[in-house]
Parts: sequence; structure tokens; C-alpha cells
Amino acid sequence: MPDLWSTDVQEFKTTTESALSRPVPVPFPLASFFQPLRRGASRYVVLSALLMIAFLYRWAVGLGPYSGMAAPPMYGDFEAQRHWMELTTQLPMKEWYWHDLEWWGLDYPPLTAYHSWLVGIIGTFINPTWFKLYDSRGLDDELLKVFMRASVVISEYLIYVPAVMLFVWAHGKQAGLSTYEKAIALAAILFQPSLMLIDHGHFQFNSVMFGFAFFAVDCFITDHILLGSLFFVLSICFKQMALYYAPAVFAYLLGLCIFPRVDIQRLFYLGLVVIGTLVLIFAPLILFGGPEQIQQCLFRVFPFARGLWEDKVANFWCATNVVLKFRETFAPATLQLASLGATLAGILPPCVLLFLNPEKRLLPLGLSACAWSFFLFSFQVHEKSVLLPLLPATLLLGGSLSQDTVSWVVWMNNIGMFSLWPLLRRDGLVLQYIVMSVFYAWLLGTFHRLPEHWFAKLTHVGSYCAILAIHAAEQYVGTVERYPDLWVVGNVLLCFGSYVIAWAWTLRRLWMETRGGKQKTE
Amino acid sequence: MNPTLHETTIAATALKLLLFPAYKSTDFEVHRNWLAITYSQPVRRWYYETTSPWTLDYPPFFAVFEWLLSLLAQFFDSDMLIVNNLGYSSNSTVFFQRLSVIFTELIFVYALYKLVGCVSDTSKQSAHAIALSLLLSPGLLIIDHIHFQYNGFMNGLLLLSILLARLPTTFLSSAMLFAAVLCLKHIYLYLAPAYFVYLLRNYCLGPNINLRYMFFHIRSRNCILLGATIIGIFGASFGPFVYWGQLPHLAARLFPFSRGLCHVYWAPNVWALYSFVDRALVYFAPQLGLHVQTAAIKNITRGIIGGTAFAVLPEITPRLTFLLTVIFQILPLMKLFMQPTFDNFIGTVTLCAFASFLFGWHVHEKAILLVMVPFSLLALKDNRYFTTFRSLAVAGHFSLFPLLFTAPELPIKFVYTVTWLLIFLHAFEKLAMASPIGSDCVFDRLTTLFILFTIPVAIYTSLVHGLLFGDKYEFLPLVVTSCYSAVGIMVSWIGLLRLYFA
Repeated sequence: MPDLWSTDVQEFKTTTESALSRPVPVPFPLASFFQPLRRGASRYVVLSALLMIAFLYRWAVGLGPYSGMAAPPMYGDFEAQRHWMELTTQLPMKEWYWHDLEWWGLDYPPLTAYHSWLVGIIGTFINPTWFKLYDSRGLDDELLKVFMRASVVISEYLIYVPAVMLFVWAHGKQAGLSTYEKAIALAAILFQPSLMLIDHGHFQFNSVMFGFAFFAVDCFITDHILLGSLFFVLSICFKQMALYYAPAVFAYLLGLCIFPRVDIQRLFYLGLVVIGTLVLIFAPLILFGGPEQIQQCLFRVFPFARGLWEDKVANFWCATNVVLKFRETFAPATLQLASLGATLAGILPPCVLLFLNPEKRLLPLGLSACAWSFFLFSFQVHEKSVLLPLLPATLLLGGSLSQDTVSWVVWMNNIGMFSLWPLLRRDGLVLQYIVMSVFYAWLLGTFHRLPEHWFAKLTHVGSYCAILAIHAAEQYVGTVERYPDLWVVGNVLLCFGSYVIAWAWTLRRLWMETRGGKQKTE
Repeated sequence: MNPTLHETTIAATALKLLLFPAYKSTDFEVHRNWLAITYSQPVRRWYYETTSPWTLDYPPFFAVFEWLLSLLAQFFDSDMLIVNNLGYSSNSTVFFQRLSVIFTELIFVYALYKLVGCVSDTSKQSAHAIALSLLLSPGLLIIDHIHFQYNGFMNGLLLLSILLARLPTTFLSSAMLFAAVLCLKHIYLYLAPAYFVYLLRNYCLGPNINLRYMFFHIRSRNCILLGATIIGIFGASFGPFVYWGQLPHLAARLFPFSRGLCHVYWAPNVWALYSFVDRALVYFAPQLGLHVQTAAIKNITRGIIGGTAFAVLPEITPRLTFLLTVIFQILPLMKLFMQPTFDNFIGTVTLCAFASFLFGWHVHEKAILLVMVPFSLLALKDNRYFTTFRSLAVAGHFSLFPLLFTAPELPIKFVYTVTWLLIFLHAFEKLAMASPIGSDCVFDRLTTLFILFTIPVAIYTSLVHGLLFGDKYEFLPLVVTSCYSAVGIMVSWIGLLRLYFA
């Protein structure tokens, strides 16, 4: 029996490495963790391990504070979600959209309400004091926090994770990716730090909306158009933010009905499914609350009475506001029109391209480009909305792990994380921000390889230096008296510039893809 | 080998950094107190400071280590260094202390690099897998990074000293390092006999031995060198205290025999099973006609540190436990004396650790790490060793679960341990070579059954019991955990004994 230990009388200092034991050069560290797949490890073990490890990092992030923790009088998003569980379980349906609108009134479509109701029922069963009407406001209970965090994780693993897995499996197969490459892509998508920090740190249920949206994409790329439309409507009915994708999806579906031949029947059925799903979602509300629910719901969901933007966000209006003071110069109605016009102009290119070339592999790019336009030019955009263009961009990895794709996608995600910094700092999630953003950047090779093209090199390195500079300045220079928001504005300007470049890259890539063939991994 | 140690360390460190806000036990305050004592008090008073109930009870080198840390601590939050700040745990304090655990653990990573380097080419893959399994050990995560202790770097030094004992040229360094480890945490004393016999036979005595005629060749130069080294290390460590006449006081601090046979959470050893049988017999005593000591029944749950009394079975004294430990250590030591190969040395270290864990007085369940680290080195010798290792891996880690009883940490300990077991039991199974002798099918099946049955037991003790009974019968899940793990650990021990003496 060969001995484990070396029989050569070597000095302790030297080490030998045979060909078998030398590490294989990998394009980025994440790939290294999946090398065992190439050496015969069971794919089921690797997949299970990946899902469990993804859970561990999410739960660890969840150990940190949530939005509005111990912050009276209004607390934050955590209290909002808890409050919705409270009111949906304690009040009849007809009062859901009317109850105490000043204290975190319900402002998402009905599916969120139903979801909150379900979670609330389970929570009330465990501990009724958590959702007691009025008494439980601002409740700061450790077990409640664990329960709420668990509800996010479970919702995510039931809806978002299967959707992403299906996407990588289907899209990867179409793009000719090996099991090894698909595993890497899945890990890269699952470890996307922005979604992790927002959902499991700040506290929201965005992963459910994205899960439904990506189920829709999965259905589209596997030729189940009607089912896909159903899922997409569900996504919109969960959070109206998914409307950022709607023009692209609409263009794609319309294109499928026109090319290669006009198919009115398909169009008809699509309309039927969309309307049918909407009716199904709103039916309980109308049945138990009456038709005025729809108007109130829409009023809450689309608050046009609010201004062009609320907090500082890296979009066109807020960024150019530094120079041109929009809110002071123009009337609200004019601004609304301008915003609408700019958004429409922005979504036109990707929608036209998708309409003329309704191909499956163009979907993530189309969704991302469309969402970028909305983010940059639309009304009442929150910084969290950057997830909408970012996630389909990350899905691109499910189709190609070429160096160009990976370096641009990870750059976009890095900028995205930086743009979330003001929000995360307010929540007290400093440690989680630093660890996850640096870790993800490292995993996808930010510190290993630069992109090849000179423009990419310039953009990436320049923006990273600027990020470090702003962080350092914020830490060591502190608040400047004359310009208290200096660093946040710097953040906004840098991110806006980067987002414009990201948007341009997405459009260019979409254009190239409609012209050329698929790109494979290197 | 992918993933490399360096990449895995980064990924693991990311997770450990995220765990900073997690639950921390009183051990956190213990170490903060020691930072304060060593920073603010003169050395003379280190072992006499009693402001806090968590008095210094590690050997002097660890106190020096804490002192060195305290020099850095002052830049993070100097308030933690005030002895009277009992229970002080500001964010900076937590940050500093947890960070220090991560940093000092790099010594362990270095030792793992050396482990992979020491191994012959054909076994590099196995060694790499073992190294990764030790790096990511759930035991270290639970104990060091959450509960809070500094086992990582001490196990690193221990591992280095074991590896240094492979070649005759580095025997002296190995002994020096081991002596230093002893002066850091005296629990490693249990492994000292193995070192003693191994070095005696290989270093102090000549290669030819004839026991029949009591013929030894004593290599006096080596003896003197070894003796001087060890005396030097111990002198450097305990010297000042001997000079001040504090040695008896130190001894009382380091070896507190006033504590009971079993720790608060029963370590999964023989005495846990013994206590369980005793409790069970209390109920059956009338039928069996056994005399029951009524006084002992009062501490029915026995969750407190203190005297443990047995109602039916005979009393256990420290002397008895010592005797049993010695007996079960002497057996492998004898084989080591006759065949002092490096393989046998590792086996003996493991068996000594096993004996002390299973039969010792006031054993902490955390001491199972002492068994798992050397055993990991043996796990891939062939698949019989792997089978034996499996039940220890499962039972040992499961026995650590009661250390983390808070709700947020429950999913972490569960999922992390299950993931580790899934990855490494799968990897090891692929890497362990078939034994030429053939494996024991019955033993194989028994260990598999044990492992499978652990899942429902774990779910019961961590989750179901709390949901069904709330806070009542708190001792029940603890007893179940200890006794079930004890069975697994004993099975592993018996298996290793069989393989060792085969």
C-alpha cells in the first residue's frame, strides 16, 4: 500500500508539485472552485453544496442590521413589510389599501399583499404578538427578525433560485456551455451582491419579483410563450417595478407574432392570458372589497403626485441637476413630459431590435437595455431599482463566460454596489457591504485580469480609482461644511457616468448579437 | 490543485467576517478580561487578578500572546483594556477580537501548506483534500469564530510540530514547538506521551534495541539537546513564576480538580454514557434490587459545574479516570515504542487524544478538535480508515451543536456542517484507496446507519424539541446529543484501535 508520506529525505522547506497537483490556471477564482467537476465530482453534490453555501452567505449577511432597525419614529422597510403582514392578517381585504396610509401604507400590487398575508399567517401561528394590530409597530424582537429573514430566504429559494437554475440550464444548453461552465455561471448569478444586500440586509422581497420575471424568461426561451406571459404578469403584480421590462417583453412577444409569419391567433391568446392573469390577481380584491379597490390600488402603486426623484439616485435627472436645477426651473408637468419623452426615446432602440429579431438569446440584453433607459430617465426612481438592469446583465453569464462579458458584467455589478453604499451605510451594513462587494469582485476576477480593449481598461480602472478615492475622502476628510452632500453627489455622478457607459455597452452588444453569431467561453 | 488553499482561505474569511455580529459566548468576555489583565497589570499579578470571575487559567505563553494582542488592541478601543469594564463589548472590541482570531488562524493555514508539501507526489490530491477539510472545519468555525476561542492558531502550531516530527533532522524543532504549544494550552498535555515515546525511541535511543537483554544505546548528545530545549522552553514560560514562588497557585489555576466529572454540557465521552446509564437505572433500580443513593437523585438534571454524584453506579474519582486514560494510552504507546514510524506516531497521537477525551476528568466537548485534527491526517490511508473517520466526523461535529443555541445561529451551524460533510465525505470516498486487506462490511454498514440516523436526531434536538416543549426538559436534548455522539465517537475509537493493532 503506497504510503501517504514522502519517503524522500527532503528538507522541510522544499515542496514538490507534480503535474497532478499543480493548480490549473483559471480565468477567475470562482472557476477554481468548480474544477472538481472536471475531475469527476458528482454534479449533484456540487449543486447541493453551491445552493447551501449561497444560503450561508445570505444568512450571514442577514445577521446584520435591517433597514430602520431601532430607528423611531418611522423605522424603515423592515417595519413596512412587517406592517403589511400585520394589516393583511388582521384586517378584511377591503381595508388593505386604505388602512392608515401615513404609516407605511401598502404601495405594491396585490400579489405582495397576498404574499404578506401568507407569511403573516405563518408568523401569527408562531407568535401572535408579532403582528398584533397597532401594538406591534416598531417591534424589535430577535425571533421576529429571524422569522422575517427566514421568510425572505425561503421565498427566494422557492421562486428565484429555481428560476435562475432553469435559466442557466436552458440558456446554457442553447449556448453550448459545459456543466462546469454552467455551474460557474449559476454561482456568479447566485452570489450577485446587490440583490443579496438589498433583500437579506436592507430587507425587501425583490427576489420574488425577479423570480417570476426570470421564470417568464425561462418560459420564453423554452418556447412556452403563454406560460411566460402569465409569469411576467405575476411579476408585475408583485412589484410594479417589473414594468421596466414590459416594453422589451412586449416587443419580443409582438415580434414572435409577426415574424416569420403573422400569427394573430397567438397574439389573441397572449392578450387573453395577460388579461386573465390580471383578473385572477385582482379578483379576490374586487370580490371582497368592491371595484373602487382597483382605483385605490393604482393610486397607491403609481404615486405621480410625488416629484421627479426622492433621494439622490444615479440617474439623468439627479445627476444633471447638479448643473441645471430642474425642479426650480420647470413645472412638474413639463418635467413629467420630458421624463416620459426621454424614457420612450431610450427604450426605442432595444425594443425595435427585439421586435425585428425576436431571438431567445437576445432576451437578457433586451431586458437590461430597456431597464437601463427606465432607470436613467424615468420618474421616481429609487437607487434600489438599479437591480432591474443589473440582474439580466448578470444573467448574460449564463450564455457566455468570455473575458469580455465577465469583466463588463462584474464591473457593472461593482458600480452597482458602490451606488448602493449611501443606502447601506444608513442601514449600518458597512461590514456586509465591504465584504460582499470585495469578495464578489475578487471571485469574478476584478483583481486578476483587465479587459483587453483600451476603452474598457480606461473605464474600469478609472472608475475603480474614483470609487476608492471617494471612499477614502469620505472616511478621512469627513463631512465638508459647505457641501454636506458632497460625497453622495460624487457617488451619484460617478455612477451615472458609469451607467451611461453600461447602457451604451448593452445596446452595442445587443446590436452586435443581432448581427453576428453567438459567443462561446474561452 | 483547485481550489487552492489560498482561494479557499479567502472565501472562508469572507464568511467569517460576515459572522462578526453573531452570537458570542462568555469566552469572549474571558479573553477580553485577559487582554485587560495582561495589559494593565504587572506580570506578577497576572495570575492573582480576581476582579472578574474569568481568571487567567492558561499557561504563561498564552498570557504573553494576549499581552501582545493587547498592544494592538489599544488602537481599536482602549476601553476594553480596563479590567473593571466587565462585559464590555463595543463594536470595536468585537471587531478587534474576531479579527485577531482570523489573523492568528493564518498560522494554521501555513501548517496546511506544509502538510501538502510534505506528502509524496501520488498522494498530493488526498493531502490537499485533507488540508481543505481542516481549513473549513465546522468545529473551528463554531468554536473559534462564533463561540469565540483561539484554537485555530494553536492547532496550527500542533500540526507543524507533528509534521516536523517526520524527519530526523527536524526532531528538535518539533519538540521545541510542541513544548511551546504546551505552554500555550495545557490540554495538549494529553498528547505528550506520544511525543515522549516517539522522540525517546527515535532521537534519544539508538536504532538497535533489544528488550530481552535490556540493551539500549543512549545517544547522550541528543538526550542533552532535547532535555535542554524542553527545559529551556518551560523555563522561559514558567521561570519567572517559579522565581516568585507562584507555582502552586498557578498549578491550582491550570488544573482545577474541584470541578466535576462532567462539564455543563456533557462531553460525549464514556462518562456521559455512564451518567445516562446511571439515570436510567434509577428508574429500574427497584425491579433490579439495586441500592439507590437518594442524596444523588436531587441533582437530577445536573446542569451545574460541581460535584457529580451517581445514584446507582459506583462513584468515579479523578484517580480512576487518570488510570483509565493511562491504560488506554499505554497500549498504543507500546506499539509506537516497538515500531516508531511516522505513521504510527500520528496514530498514537490520535489514540492518546481519544483516550484522554473518552476517559478524562472534566472534559470539554470542544476537546474533540484535538482528536479530529490528527485523525484527519490518517483518514485517507485507505478506505477502512475513512470509514472509521466518518463516524467521528459526523458525531464530533454534531456534539458541538449545543454550543450555539441561539435562533439566528441555528441555520448556520446546521447548513455549514451538512455542507462540509457532504463535500468532504464525498471527496474522501472518491480519494480513499481500496484497502488490499478488504474492509469490514458490517462496520461499514453500521457507520452508514449511524450517520443517516444522526439527521433526525439533530433535527429533534435543535428544532423539534424547542417547538414542542419550549423551555421545559432542557436537559433532554443535551443528554440525547451527548450520548448519541458518544456512541459515534466510541465506535470510531474502537475502529481505529482495531486498524492500529492489526
